[in-house]
Amino acid sequence: MPEDRESAGRERREKLKRFLTDWQAVTGLVLVVLFFASAIFAPWIAPYDPNAMDIPARMSGPTWVHIAGTDQLGRDTFSRILHGGRVALYIAAIGVSASLAIGLVLGMIAGYGPRWLDNLLLLAFDAVRSLPAVILALATVALTGPSLTVVLAIVILTTIPSYGRVARTATLALRHTEFILAERSLGASTSRILFQHVMPNVIGPLLILAAMEVPVVVSIEAGLSFLGIGVLPPQASWGTILNEGYLVIRDAPWMVIAGGIPLILTTLGFTFLGEALRDIFDPRMGRGR
Amino acid sequence: MKDLANNTLLNIEGLTLDFLTNRGRVKALRDIAFPVRKGRILGIVGESGSGKSTVLWSILGLLAGNAQVTAGRVDYGDKNLLTLNAEGLRALRGEEISVVFQDPMTSQIPVLPYAQQMSDILYRRSMSEADKRKAAVDMLRRVGIPDPESRVDAYPHEFSGGMRQRAGIAMSMLTGPNLLLADEPTTALDVTMEAQMIDLMRGLRDDFETTIVVVSHNLGLIAEMCDDVVVMYAGEVVETGEVHDIFHNARHPYTRALLECDPARITDVSRKLPVIPGDIPDLTASLSGCIFASRCQKALPACSTTAPPLVERGTGIARCHLLEGPLADPSWPPPAEVSTVMRDTGKTLEASVKDAKPLLEVRDLNVQFRTMGAMKSRLRGVERPFVDAVLDVSLDIRPSETLALVGESGSGKTTLGRTILNLQDAAGGSVRFEGNDIRNMSERRFKPLRRDLAMMFQDPVGSLSPRKSVRALITEPLLIHGAEGRNLDFEAERLADMVRLPRGFLSRYPHELSGGQARRVGVARALALNPRLIVADEPTAGLDVSVQGEILNLMADLQEEHGLSYLIITHNLPVVRHIADRIAIMYLGRIVEEGPAAEVFARPAHPYTRALVEGVPQPDPDRRRQNTGTIKGEVPSLLRRPKGCDFATRCPLARDACREAKPEHRQIAPDHRHACLFPLRYADQQIT
Repeated sequence: MPEDRESAGRERREKLKRFLTDWQAVTGLVLVVLFFASAIFAPWIAPYDPNAMDIPARMSGPTWVHIAGTDQLGRDTFSRILHGGRVALYIAAIGVSASLAIGLVLGMIAGYGPRWLDNLLLLAFDAVRSLPAVILALATVALTGPSLTVVLAIVILTTIPSYGRVARTATLALRHTEFILAERSLGASTSRILFQHVMPNVIGPLLILAAMEVPVVVSIEAGLSFLGIGVLPPQASWGTILNEGYLVIRDAPWMVIAGGIPLILTTLGFTFLGEALRDIFDPRMGRGR
Repeated sequence: MKDLANNTLLNIEGLTLDFLTNRGRVKALRDIAFPVRKGRILGIVGESGSGKSTVLWSILGLLAGNAQVTAGRVDYGDKNLLTLNAEGLRALRGEEISVVFQDPMTSQIPVLPYAQQMSDILYRRSMSEADKRKAAVDMLRRVGIPDPESRVDAYPHEFSGGMRQRAGIAMSMLTGPNLLLADEPTTALDVTMEAQMIDLMRGLRDDFETTIVVVSHNLGLIAEMCDDVVVMYAGEVVETGEVHDIFHNARHPYTRALLECDPARITDVSRKLPVIPGDIPDLTASLSGCIFASRCQKALPACSTTAPPLVERGTGIARCHLLEGPLADPSWPPPAEVSTVMRDTGKTLEASVKDAKPLLEVRDLNVQFRTMGAMKSRLRGVERPFVDAVLDVSLDIRPSETLALVGESGSGKTTLGRTILNLQDAAGGSVRFEGNDIRNMSERRFKPLRRDLAMMFQDPVGSLSPRKSVRALITEPLLIHGAEGRNLDFEAERLADMVRLPRGFLSRYPHELSGGQARRVGVARALALNPRLIVADEPTAGLDVSVQGEILNLMADLQEEHGLSYLIITHNLPVVRHIADRIAIMYLGRIVEEGPAAEVFARPAHPYTRALVEGVPQPDPDRRRQNTGTIKGEVPSLLRRPKGCDFATRCPLARDACREAKPEHRQIAPDHRHACLFPLRYADQQIT
């Protein structure tokens, strides 16, 4: 027994070692940690109040006082970027976890339930997927007016199908395995089978997918805010910073550059991390489940 | 041995091989040495983990990437195959050395017809395409494919399992190889097909003077097919010799134990089967002494520290302290009648309640599978858009009784078991449990009955939810059916003790269990709710001979303790003989014979039953199956169910009347029924 636990531990150490010796994985991890830390601790790190105007210092280039310059109202761009990260994190965390949860449940139901339900859900997934997120958002905003909640709802709705399809395929493969039949023979209810026995076996790929979806969600939020249908001014968001910078791109290019860099780094970070996780946990690479 | 040296086709010397895994270095093969003599069939026999297949693949240099050969040589002619470069190996593969794989379904190319696959094999030959095709047709004819001229254009999925394996053998023989390697060539096939394959391969050896090396865990196959035998255990050769010496004069305790564990050899009908207790040693640890010492009944203290001597005899070698040196024991090996393995003195328990009311009554049960959708069948005017997987089956199981349901693959036995447990809908008939009809009951109403009816599934590891610990798995039935006021930790330990699973295993996960241990978990789960009836689907599938006895003994003990009834679904007739009170033989979804186990074995009424009983491979080279010709072909597809008797297409005794109408079931003794128009033993006496 102890030697067995030791071998499980060795396997875990082995995986960790493989993870830590992969430069992509480490870069991804560092960037992701940076993203979380800067967003969570923004109020303490930011040198200025992101909304405090300092008209005399407006349109300042990068200096020691304002390391990323200021905008046309004299607000410190660096502080606004840090606070904009909070919006990005908020949308990413809630958006990704909600669509993961909903997609997982719908996907398992589609894969395990009767054929007609499967067809119905697949049709719904395809219908949602055929709608471009931005157009859908524009249409919704036309009805409701711009708000962060609308952005969140759109993000969740449009990313559900990717989780749903992955969960459905994985569930379908498990559906006729002997262990599911064995659970049925013991009298396990469908919800018990789905949440106790199917979910632990399908959630792995979904978590990796979620890591890769974070940048998608972050850029949808930035895109919608850029178009002015996301967060409302004066609240800072990477999208609004880009938008404001875009208006003065000839006079103050640092705003667009400073607003774009975190977007790029976040995308890179989560993509690297997601790919590294997939390489390590992919059952085809490892030793079975 | 020495004078045969110039007769040696292949010589393996000191082959030592490690697998580099993340558990560490697995010493998979250690100092393997044996010659393969020209024109002989050599069998490598061993249980799972013995390294027998690894030896085979190292001959061809087809080892996994993490294998590392650390010493030894494999001499073929003047070449050492272990050091030969890739080009040299490629020149030998296919041309001089070819392979028959275990599973023809995965070893043949699904998208190419046989004609194409077989002419591709001859790509080195400067022959015209027409000649290659002719060679392919000739070889298919030689291996017994009917109508080879047109069948050569078929694709693998158009062939049945047995035909596919025949075609696989034809492909490997096409180039006229000197050496044929066969990896478990009959494991995927039924008993009746197995006999035909053995016959075929022996015939090919005689015709083409091919040397064959066959790897198998099946002692019956080895005894029937081979001339020489190599016995392996945990990565070492423990004994070699000619087939008669191995089977009649085994000198290594492991060989001896393995032979004694084979249920086909045991003729007394005691319910206890012999076992080799313990597990194969961990090959990542440092090894010393005799590798079998930890499980050997004759082990002495020195066995686990001092390497055993290599003792030569007329036809081979054996490695054991008992044979030579200071520890030699002149009384070893004992005469054949003496048992050397652990065996409880089984209480020969007669079914005590012969005339009790049946616990389970199945009457005229039918199960159908749809072959096309409702709409499509209506459009095409197909009247019966389904096949009968189970056809008019009637069965009784009485309390504390074991009924075995025996049949080849595709006979519908698993479907029947699942239908009884309401996991599959039936089309007609009734299933009564304690007098109440339970067929097609809604799951909500059936749930309380799941306490009384439990099932054990075929795949010991695959039927356990992979992400759950053993503790969670065996207490789950209690949780599902309400475990108020129960101490689950206590219950988990109670169940583990009941199935003799060490308590330390409770925190393990399914993939960390061996087949036998996983099977115990399955038994514990089935028992958790104190059921009345357990349906066990192939309880010994995937288990080694030395372990299957342990599981069957456990099941017998539990039956005695708890008054359980069993429905055992299996294709393994020898095993059934020891555990079943009654046997029902199933063919194409119909029960063709049913009766007391001893009676069915001794005096089968249906020709199919007789074919199955006689088709059991005997682990005795002197008792090779003589009548392999009596039953031909394979189980027909359900889509082409014969009009008359289902078995008429294969029956050696079929008459015209058999092809006209389905025979009714007839009672020939109070407890013995069959469905044959011309039964074997009552042919001349009319029973009404």
